[in-house]
Amino acid sequence: MSNQESKSEAIVELVGVTKVYRTGAVETHALRGMDLVVKRGEFVALWGPSGSGKSTALNLVGALDTPSGGTVKLEGRDLGELSSRALARLRRDRIGFVFQSYNLIPVLTAYENAESVMALQGVSQKEREERVMKLLADVGLAGMEHRRPHELSGGQQQRVAVARAIASRPAVVLADEPTANLDSVTSEKLLDMMARLNAEQGITFVFSTHDPRVMKYARRLVGLVDGRVDTDVVKEQGAEA
Amino acid sequence: MPGPKLVALAWRNLWRQKRRTLLTLASIAFGGFMAVMMTGMQDQSFADFIDNAARLGAGHVTVQHSEYMDRPTLTRSVTGTDAKRATAESDAEVVRAVERISGPMMVATARDSFGAFFIAFDPAVETPETMEFTEHLDEGELFESADSRGIVVGSILAENLQLELGDKVVYTITDRGGEIVSGMERLTGTVTTGAPSTDAALVLLPLGILKRTVGYGTHESTQVAVFLEDGRRTIDVADRLDPKIDDASVLTWDELQPEIKAFVAMKVGGGRVMELIIGVLVAAGIFNTLFMSVLERSREFGIMRAIGYTRGQLFSLVMLESAMLAALGLVSAVAVTAGPYSYVHGMGIDMTEIYAQQGNSVDIGGVGMDMILRVGLYPESAVIIAVSIVVATMLAGVYPAWKAGRVNPVEAINQG
Repeated sequence: MSNQESKSEAIVELVGVTKVYRTGAVETHALRGMDLVVKRGEFVALWGPSGSGKSTALNLVGALDTPSGGTVKLEGRDLGELSSRALARLRRDRIGFVFQSYNLIPVLTAYENAESVMALQGVSQKEREERVMKLLADVGLAGMEHRRPHELSGGQQQRVAVARAIASRPAVVLADEPTANLDSVTSEKLLDMMARLNAEQGITFVFSTHDPRVMKYARRLVGLVDGRVDTDVVKEQGAEA
Repeated sequence: MPGPKLVALAWRNLWRQKRRTLLTLASIAFGGFMAVMMTGMQDQSFADFIDNAARLGAGHVTVQHSEYMDRPTLTRSVTGTDAKRATAESDAEVVRAVERISGPMMVATARDSFGAFFIAFDPAVETPETMEFTEHLDEGELFESADSRGIVVGSILAENLQLELGDKVVYTITDRGGEIVSGMERLTGTVTTGAPSTDAALVLLPLGILKRTVGYGTHESTQVAVFLEDGRRTIDVADRLDPKIDDASVLTWDELQPEIKAFVAMKVGGGRVMELIIGVLVAAGIFNTLFMSVLERSREFGIMRAIGYTRGQLFSLVMLESAMLAALGLVSAVAVTAGPYSYVHGMGIDMTEIYAQQGNSVDIGGVGMDMILRVGLYPESAVIIAVSIVVATMLAGVYPAWKAGRVNPVEAINQG
């Protein structure tokens, strides 16, 4: 596969996706027929007001939830056809997650958190060590490998989370409001790092956000309103939102 | 740099809430301690009780006339007792086999007469393992040999007959041919077994003298009493002896004394119920610890599910925590129990005053219980307790572990 072909390959496909949450007799339509294609190497931000369906869409793409209707595909595989075990494998091998509240495992060190998914994948200890040490250096955490999450700042924890998300070499990294709990300087540094990883390593990033700083870094902005794609803008090189 | 394996993760999780884990370990240790002490007391007291019953009766295993049990009369004797003793003693589990004559009799003095139960034996072949009270007379002394003159009676019987040492005692029994015969001896001693019904009826006589009185041959008795190292092995030993002795019945102590068997079974059952209650209480504590720990970590389990841990791996993680808790609990239980167990096993607790204050007589089927409370856990009881602790802890972990595996990642991540 040439680089050009690889770049045009659809990583994420949502076709007519609906999601309805039921609480007793009350139905909440989080997604009302969402269509979206994300290609390899893209740096996409799903943005919109609260309740627009950003996080729901991300959860469906991340195989954390199942749609009420429509199809969600990751690298061409229909997630609706996979078993719970296969979905767990898919999340482990093909998806990286970065959450709003860092969500590191508190009893593990920065190093262990970063390597945890690779350990699940069965990557050899030597390779894990090489990859994790490089990644922690890349995200600016060299020398902090042995620190537990409570010994790190919020920004540092989020950088460990990014290292964990990309260490397993996933097809796509899904980041749900990754800067929501960070100050502006830390957010800029984190986004700068993610943009660099996207540019240098071709890692696909899909964000859900309403943070203008994220939108500034995103190369494509998908606006959601009431559970549907309202706008879909690909920025020119060098342009800002 | 080592990776975060499930075992390491489980171990660290266990110590996240140190106080709670230590409290849980303390509750397991306490449960183990209670189970060991209760079961140990029970095992020891029943072993002693069975041995007492065997010593006072006719051994752990008894060889006697096949109809003697239905109606114990001296007309129903066994012969060839020397050969039968030798046969029994050739069994590796038999420590001693002795011959005895026992049965009902009347005893009389110039002042009164009472019905009694006699045991005639040879003090030269009996040992403390076969007849403990031969060395613990209240007053006076035992006849020296099977052919020495003398009689020893229970302390209450002596009181009832207003006997003093040296007083004449006349006994009347039926002989080998069913005729009534009498003998006369002077009181050489009195004995207290601890069982009032026994102390009010027991008469000890020299075997040789009695044999001549009732017309028995040299190797003829009503029983050959067989004593074992372990009183619980009676059935196996009886099964082995039975085919080797074809002219008499081979019976176990519990066949001869069913009321004692029923008492032991009832007490063992009661003990098991108590142990079960302790087990359930301890398991509830462990369940609470693990369940709380899982609920507190549901967000974390959601994250773990999100990054690729399977349900099975999360289930295994919590079960590993449970297993570690069980192992540590077992070690804690041993540490807490060892000292008190050793003390009570060696020194015992004297219960005489407590029983005296309560006015209780400890007399089941004419057999007294030892007033010194000791613990002596059978090896199989120790194994059962250890296995129960591990199984209860593991079972208590199953639901929390299942719950951990069933966490909905979206709901868990969004909470808090």
